[in-house]
Amino acid sequence: MDNNNTIKTEDFWNPEHIVEKFWNGLAEGKILARKCKECGAIEFPPHLACNECGYHETEWTELSGKGVLKSFVFTGILNARLELEDKGVKYVCGEVQLDEGPSINAIILGVSKKKGREIEPKLPLKVKPVFFDMGRYTTLFFELDED
Amino acid sequence: MVQNVKLGKNMRSVSIVGIGATPFMNLIKNDTYHGLTNGELFGHAALDAMKDAHIEPRDVQYFFHGSANPHVLNHCITPNVQVADWFGMRGKGSLSHSEGCCTGYIALEEAVFAVASGAYDIVLSGACDMGTGMPDGNTPDHMRVEMSTEILFPDLDSIFDRAYGRYLGGGPGMNHDDWINLYAHENNLTPDEIDDVLNHQSYHMRRAGALCPRAVRRTTFDEMAKEAGYDDVWEYMKSPHNPKMTQYLRTSSDSCVADGAAACIVVPTEIAHQFTDKPVEVLATGASVLDAIVPHLEKKATAEAARQVFEATGLTADDMDLLFVNDFIGSSAFLAAEEIGYLPKGEGWKYVLDGRIAYDGDKPINTNGGRTSYGHAFGASGMADVFEAVTQMRGEAGLRQVKKLPKHVFLRGFGGAQNVRATILRAGF
Ligand SMILES: [Zn+2]
Repeated sequence: MDNNNTIKTEDFWNPEHIVEKFWNGLAEGKILARKCKECGAIEFPPHLACNECGYHETEWTELSGKGVLKSFVFTGILNARLELEDKGVKYVCGEVQLDEGPSINAIILGVSKKKGREIEPKLPLKVKPVFFDMGRYTTLFFELDED
Repeated sequence: MVQNVKLGKNMRSVSIVGIGATPFMNLIKNDTYHGLTNGELFGHAALDAMKDAHIEPRDVQYFFHGSANPHVLNHCITPNVQVADWFGMRGKGSLSHSEGCCTGYIALEEAVFAVASGAYDIVLSGACDMGTGMPDGNTPDHMRVEMSTEILFPDLDSIFDRAYGRYLGGGPGMNHDDWINLYAHENNLTPDEIDDVLNHQSYHMRRAGALCPRAVRRTTFDEMAKEAGYDDVWEYMKSPHNPKMTQYLRTSSDSCVADGAAACIVVPTEIAHQFTDKPVEVLATGASVLDAIVPHLEKKATAEAARQVFEATGLTADDMDLLFVNDFIGSSAFLAAEEIGYLPKGEGWKYVLDGRIAYDGDKPINTNGGRTSYGHAFGASGMADVFEAVTQMRGEAGLRQVKKLPKHVFLRGFGGAQNVRATILRAGF
């Protein structure tokens, strides 16, 4: 292809920084994902290739962050998220399916034991994104969309 | 996920002809064992496996060393190099591998590949972890201290994806209870009913552990209840003596961390009878790996690995006489049994309540007591299950011998958030 041995390394190999772009996006309130160029599936969180159909190429897309909570569990002493316990936040861990298709295990804020028992029979329930400041980075959690 | 893997036939059939295992123990608290090292534990398991196959170290051509976390637990990165001299294999080829708590099952898969390919004829594969302690600073290996929470807790997250999942947080938090929670809802079981099922399961696992000299927990729950002043063991199981550690799991359904090693020798099946009268053929291993961010990953990966191995062997769950499930999450045992079809869909919980999954039941699971009783030396647990599987198939399990001598045994490996393997063994005699 290119037999020019004097070419700068950075000129022929300069990939996008996918992980960095994702986290920078969250800091700006944007949820970035990748979309498969063959089957159209949304790859979230973003990776290089498509895990739905196994095609090699995806492109950037932005998600609304809206979705539904399909199931959740409370944590206990063995599996608590210490970074949240330290902040005194009420949360559960659950399966969130985003409106654009992909499902992930996520953290849902604002659900106490009492609230959890109330909402469990009503699942699935709508959720919306929370861009949560962890100090050195901003992460993506969810909360019930009760509007 | 794309599910299009069709396992091919090995270039040649491979059989297990030797097994060895140390007990699972607490090396920090047990004065008899305190001071033993990784090289010694692995070395004893390896030499026992060679002795069982009637060979000497000089006969072995290659070995695998598995451990879940050699850096934190043993402050080393290539343990294969550091253990080789302990059992006479200096200068031979070897490999270290580390797949969390699935390591010991993958240890068997790798050894089979090495022989099936034709590259080697006699291969040792073992796994060793010393989970109760850590090096006492920068000192020789026999000097170990109890694992401290300051070291352990920050390190636990290292099995979760550092690009995303660890910091999005849901996967790590759902690791223990996602599947049992889903099962409870799918089958309309109340939290109390699930509690009963898990307590009965732990109870029967312990009955097996009590009869297994290598198990770390050998006191039955009946004895523990009596000791604590309870006439009714089921009341004891729900008491503060057995507190909830997660939404669903009590201490009795949590793994008991241990130190230990296990190993096996594999050779081509065509020469297996030169080493033992009772070779055990490794028919095939299905594999699936899903990161903790994927909802219901344990159920999905178990189903996929089982599909692969059943298709490759032409066997069904009805052909299986005994099942091993890596159950460091206690609920996994009957859930995985149901997922692969060993127990009927939606009815696994009844089999547990009726004790049918016990070593003396008609659908035995984890006859060594599993992780909640045999103990959990992380990477070594899978190979300890292989040791017990072969022992049962040979009919040498003593008081915990299952009623029907197993012809086929299914092993469901799991670990490292999360690797899954599904292996079927067949008695070759
Ligand atoms: Zn695709």
